[in-house]
Amino acid sequence: MSAADTAPAGTAPSGGGRLLRRALLRNRGRLAIGVTGASLHQTAEALVPVAIGLVIDRAVATGDVRALAVSLAGLVLLFTVLTMSWRFGARSLVAAIQGEAHLLRVEAAERMLDPRRQDSGMRAGEQLSIATSDADRLARLLHFGPSFVSGVVGLAVSAVALLRIDSALGLGVLVGVPVLVGAVQVLGPLLTRRAASQQAATAATTALAADLVRGLPVLRGVGAETAAADGYQRSSGAALRAALHAAAPSGAYFGATTAGGGLLLAGAAAFAGWAAINGRITIGELITVVGLAQFITEPVRELGLCGQGIAVARASAGRLAAMLDAPYRLAPGDRAVAGEARVDLRGVHHGPLRGLTLSVRPGEFVGVVGHDPAETRALVALLSGRTPPGEVDGDVLVDGVPLGDIRLDDARRTVLVEPHEPDLFEGTLRDNVRAGVPAGAAGGGDDEAGLWAALRATAGDEVVRAHPDGLDHRITDRGTTLSGGQRQRLALARAVAARPPVLVLDEPTTAVDAVTEETVAQGLRDARHGPDAGAGLATLVVTSSPALLARADRVVVLSGGAVAREGTHADLAAADPDYRRTVLR
Amino acid sequence: MTAGPTAAPSAHRVLPIASARATLALVRAELRGVRGPAAAALAVSAAANACALIAPWVLGLLVDAVDEGTTTAHALTLTGAIAAAAVAGGVLTAVAFTLLARTGETVLARLRERVVRRALLLPAPVLARLSAGDLLSRVGDDVAVVGDTIREKVPFLLSALLTVVLTMGGLIALDWRLGLAGMCALPVYAFALRWYLPRSAPLYVDERAAMGERAQALVGSLHGAETVHAYRLHAHRRALVDERSAVARDATVRVFRLFTRFGGSMNMAECVGLSAILAVGFALVGGDAATVGQTTAAALYFHRLFGPLGAIMVTFNDVQSAGTSLARMAGVAAMPLPEPPADAMVPADGGVEVLGVGHRYDGGPPVLRDVTLRVAPGERVALVGGSGAGKTTLASVVAGLLTPAEGAVRLGGAPLDRLHPDALRRHLALVSQDTHVFAGTLADNVRLAVPDAGEDRVRAALAAVDALSWAAALPEGLDTVVGEGGLRLTAFQAQHLALARVVLADPAVVVLDEAGAEAGSAGARVLERAAVAATRGRTALVVAHRLPQAVEADRIVVLDAGRVVESGTHADLVARGGRYADLWNAWSATGAPA
Repeated sequence: MSAADTAPAGTAPSGGGRLLRRALLRNRGRLAIGVTGASLHQTAEALVPVAIGLVIDRAVATGDVRALAVSLAGLVLLFTVLTMSWRFGARSLVAAIQGEAHLLRVEAAERMLDPRRQDSGMRAGEQLSIATSDADRLARLLHFGPSFVSGVVGLAVSAVALLRIDSALGLGVLVGVPVLVGAVQVLGPLLTRRAASQQAATAATTALAADLVRGLPVLRGVGAETAAADGYQRSSGAALRAALHAAAPSGAYFGATTAGGGLLLAGAAAFAGWAAINGRITIGELITVVGLAQFITEPVRELGLCGQGIAVARASAGRLAAMLDAPYRLAPGDRAVAGEARVDLRGVHHGPLRGLTLSVRPGEFVGVVGHDPAETRALVALLSGRTPPGEVDGDVLVDGVPLGDIRLDDARRTVLVEPHEPDLFEGTLRDNVRAGVPAGAAGGGDDEAGLWAALRATAGDEVVRAHPDGLDHRITDRGTTLSGGQRQRLALARAVAARPPVLVLDEPTTAVDAVTEETVAQGLRDARHGPDAGAGLATLVVTSSPALLARADRVVVLSGGAVAREGTHADLAAADPDYRRTVLR
Repeated sequence: MTAGPTAAPSAHRVLPIASARATLALVRAELRGVRGPAAAALAVSAAANACALIAPWVLGLLVDAVDEGTTTAHALTLTGAIAAAAVAGGVLTAVAFTLLARTGETVLARLRERVVRRALLLPAPVLARLSAGDLLSRVGDDVAVVGDTIREKVPFLLSALLTVVLTMGGLIALDWRLGLAGMCALPVYAFALRWYLPRSAPLYVDERAAMGERAQALVGSLHGAETVHAYRLHAHRRALVDERSAVARDATVRVFRLFTRFGGSMNMAECVGLSAILAVGFALVGGDAATVGQTTAAALYFHRLFGPLGAIMVTFNDVQSAGTSLARMAGVAAMPLPEPPADAMVPADGGVEVLGVGHRYDGGPPVLRDVTLRVAPGERVALVGGSGAGKTTLASVVAGLLTPAEGAVRLGGAPLDRLHPDALRRHLALVSQDTHVFAGTLADNVRLAVPDAGEDRVRAALAAVDALSWAAALPEGLDTVVGEGGLRLTAFQAQHLALARVVLADPAVVVLDEAGAEAGSAGARVLERAAVAATRGRTALVVAHRLPQAVEADRIVVLDAGRVVESGTHADLVARGGRYADLWNAWSATGAPA
């Protein structure tokens, strides 16, 4: 729990309030059942001590067998109501809570994945914790809200019972209990603060252990295992100190609750005993009073917890709202393009790019060499369309239309940028390689043949064959069970299989060996520009690999943010020593 | 889930899980260190719970006293006793909780430190056979589960158990027949548990698995957002998250439905016990064998048991699951550390000798066959060969990560297995294909092996590999937080850091495997120079995945199908016209005019 979780109620931004209201409103049916059930349950719980007093008063003290039978039957009925109301009320609430958390999660995921790119300024870890923990905490409002209502009902029932027995006594208990619970709550903020710092220290220790184990090969490589274990021990020691620091106020809290409850009971018993001796109340009523004094601390404590829980839900709602309401970076255009493989950059200024002019024509295979990685990165980012047009000077045209004006779907369909660090997803190899193949495209056998052609072109077929179950082999998320080179080849196969009009690759062969690189370079050339490729596909590869550059129709050298030289690989290599040094390494 | 025909893990790939006895022994051993607080915690808890028994007892007395027509003064004395017990109980509860936390947290801290240290120091050949996920979940999830349980469940469970035992004792002391009546509830509780546990266990497993899959869908989508957008997969991924999240939701609701039925059984037990006490009390009072006050006290005693008994029932699952995690932690903690050789040797110099080494993985085809290779102190040797030639295996053997099936490796004249592990760590460094950026500052990432190195030494190490310029330009320079949750470094930067680490660690021998592979265009050249700088003055064995990495080596060793087929300088080998010359020609033909 972060410090923000403990923010006092009332600081949630208005967006958070909207989410809370929506949660209550769209679950109102289940909430109604839940509140009814919980209130009935609390009432029944409150009546148990009353019932004990009644049974003793009417049956045990009198010896009336009929009264015993009737009152025990009443007890069974009371318990039946108690358990049934809880069962159906709680089920309904849990269904509401889980349903709400699910809806919030999906909504958050939708926002985070929106192709218009949300600009929430949050890191992936933060977004993840919002979609999981905060969604859950907000949904817990549907627990704490009804608990609050049922707590109040329980208190009211107790109050009525007490007031009916003796008004002075009833008032005393009713005032004393909240005062007592309130007094104990004074410890609350200290408790939450210490608990929060303890949780943070423990979480840091847990994360450290996982981080060290993940990096164990690296630690081992430089002989840092012992130093790492010592570091972990220090972190664990800090977590221990924080835990001990938190234990004392917690102990004091429990102690105070115990003592307070006991004192209240003593007070109630003293008054009720005096009243019974003086004939103001019966013995059964004495027992009831004592029982209720014991019981009543429960709903009051519950109310305290509800206050806390609702505050937490508000804080989470604020964070969720901040994410859901974050503006998009890209304003989607509405122009359709036919998808001709034509890209023009004219006098583009963006980041390190200073007046870059570069065109790719249908059918062309263009290599791009950069002396400064920042420049090629900026170029790739521009082509991927993830840069808002406002941050770019000059024209970026796809099929003659400014990239920012094109419908997002069309833009991505026309220009496919395979990111340099390939991300594979959990699922089969087939799922991954055919990720970019349009759903309506040739299915069945043709589809399979297409995948294999793409795999062969990128030496991905070896990767698939290394697994006995071939394309049905399942990989874990991010493909962590594959080597970097295997991931790179599969990602490349995925890009080739998608057959986009313009394919942009960013250093696609950095993780493969020289022999494979040759295969990939030739395969890529054939797949995109060979006789069977179909006319008009264009490929732009940012690379320093001579194998790829040698197969490009044209190589463009970026320097100082613009095109410095242009020509075939052979010509550039022959004429330009700088170029030679860059590509020959 | 992913089980293909060959995917079933063989036994040695799974970390051991300790038996119940070994697990208990481990906990006992750790408890011995906190014997004083532990004993005090138990004693004070018992006293605190005993105080809680006083109130119902005295209330019973009060009922009888009122029944017999007592004085107000006597009633006040009795209730004064309740007040005194309340104050004493409060103080004792506070002390007991603090002592319990001290005991539990200390044991927990020692346990996790022991497990993590053991995991980090597992012998390399053992580690190489393990699935990373298993070890990760032992030091991560298992430690967290045990921690939560020790912190949040055990104190209350212990207190609840004490309450139940003492209250039952109080009931029997009050009147053994009333005590027996209350115990009528126990079979109902036992029956409820026996009904619930076997039914709920698989549902909880399903629920956890569903949550794991949901997290995977979310993490994968977020992490791969770039790819999701490029391939227009957002609708597909959203649908996946929706589907997984719905499955997890339904699993939770299903478990809870079962739980409410269990809760109903507990209510039934309460009803049975309470009715029995009242009925028996009725009979006893009628026969003048007990007083109304005793019956009242018994009913109140039993009413106070509702909470603690419910708590025990509900935490049963958690405790059981924490026990499983504890056994998994104990399994790691109990793994033997290799004894350092009794007559440990120290490498005399930076020389490396590989003598007749052969190796195969688990009955597969041989990957190294009779490899003999001598590297002189300070010499830089490059290993060249196609995929599967055995380059990485040979590097792992030299670095001590892999015990070869045949042959031996000597470092500075000393056989690898006669070196003290600490001596080996200081003597040899390996930069492997695995790059990892640890969460923490950039400087901390460099000083991994030398934690007390000052900033000047860190800067010098970064400068030596020419990484200081970009490192210093990070938002907060060397103090920039990187890794998980911090700034994400590029593959190039991660590799660069790895080389700076080597400079700071200052070993005599360096084994470089795949340095620079992921670096990309201009980066690869920078890393190539950095690798040369990092290995300067040291013996270096460089796995050259790309030919340019080999050209400048003192000697090139060509491997093919696990054998050394050629050895010599670049010029020699090109002139010889053998395997290396073929590779070189293939590369330089596309690599443009030389």
